[in-house]
Amino acid sequence: MSYEDQIPYVESTIIMTTVRVVAPFVLTLGLFVMFHGAGSAGGGFQGGVVVGSVILMLAFAFGIEAVRDWINPAAVLGVIGLGVGTFVAIGLGSVALGGAFLEYGRYGSLTVVKYSIELVELGIGAIVTGVVVGLFFLIAGGYADAEEEGSA
Amino acid sequence: MVSALEVATLVFVLGTALTAALLRDVLGAIIAFAAYSLGVSILWVFLQAPDVALTEAAVGAGVMTILFLLTIVRTVRPPTDDLLESVGWRGVAAGGALSTLLLVTVPSLPAIGSDSPVTTGEVTAYYLENAYADTHVENAVTAVLAAYRGFDTLGEAVVVFAAGVAVLVVLRQEEFV
Repeated sequence: MSYEDQIPYVESTIIMTTVRVVAPFVLTLGLFVMFHGAGSAGGGFQGGVVVGSVILMLAFAFGIEAVRDWINPAAVLGVIGLGVGTFVAIGLGSVALGGAFLEYGRYGSLTVVKYSIELVELGIGAIVTGVVVGLFFLIAGGYADAEEEGSA
Repeated sequence: MVSALEVATLVFVLGTALTAALLRDVLGAIIAFAAYSLGVSILWVFLQAPDVALTEAAVGAGVMTILFLLTIVRTVRPPTDDLLESVGWRGVAAGGALSTLLLVTVPSLPAIGSDSPVTTGEVTAYYLENAYADTHVENAVTAVLAAYRGFDTLGEAVVVFAAGVAVLVVLRQEEFV
């Protein structure tokens, strides 16, 4: 039996229940890793992947089409752009204050420096989350097309 | 020097890597690969690199597994019923030569915590002493990545962004473009 004969999405109570229980905790962990990257292990890259994997888990359990309808793909693109924009804005902010690009010291108090670094981490997190989710839906979309061709 | 747990993890990693390489069934190989990533992420924890361990666990064991699973839906299982891939002597020779080459370089790495430029060098000492005073960020790794080497990190972030956008454009889908 080839893989093509298999149904890509199987509605499994075990998977759905597990994801329903685990997803909030994973999302919280991802956001914690992203927001707390300045204080403990972690940061934007790691937290972003964990947050993105929550969406992947949901799609795996409840069907890719349902989750894609739930999440607006344009919003995914927007999140990616917002992340890059945040990072560049923090860099340009110090230029506006008369310093070099990304010269955090120009922001004055160290608290502001700390939170601008946090914002940079959040921006990275947004980029990574968006790219992971976007890649997933793209690959999944490819095989949905193949399925339609097969049934047509 | 090396605890039993570390040896067990190493054996697990080597075993899962060989399984992933040799299994003929693609689905089995993907699951073995996910287990391998999980083992490697535990190794990173032993090496006191929790940031890298988090990335390895999330990307290697989590996201990559799901992307591979989606990909193999479009592949066909090879017709034979053999459990393992047949390996030619050329492959063994090439793999063995590459592994030997890489293993030869291992003794030149400094031992963990030993007195080497990696741990006691001027730059490392500067980061450890000044990171908190300069940025008020407790995690020195984040201070180095986001502040001292902010340009590098911006470049990395933009590379991820560009790669994502490039894939979106190349695999033009109605859902996205």
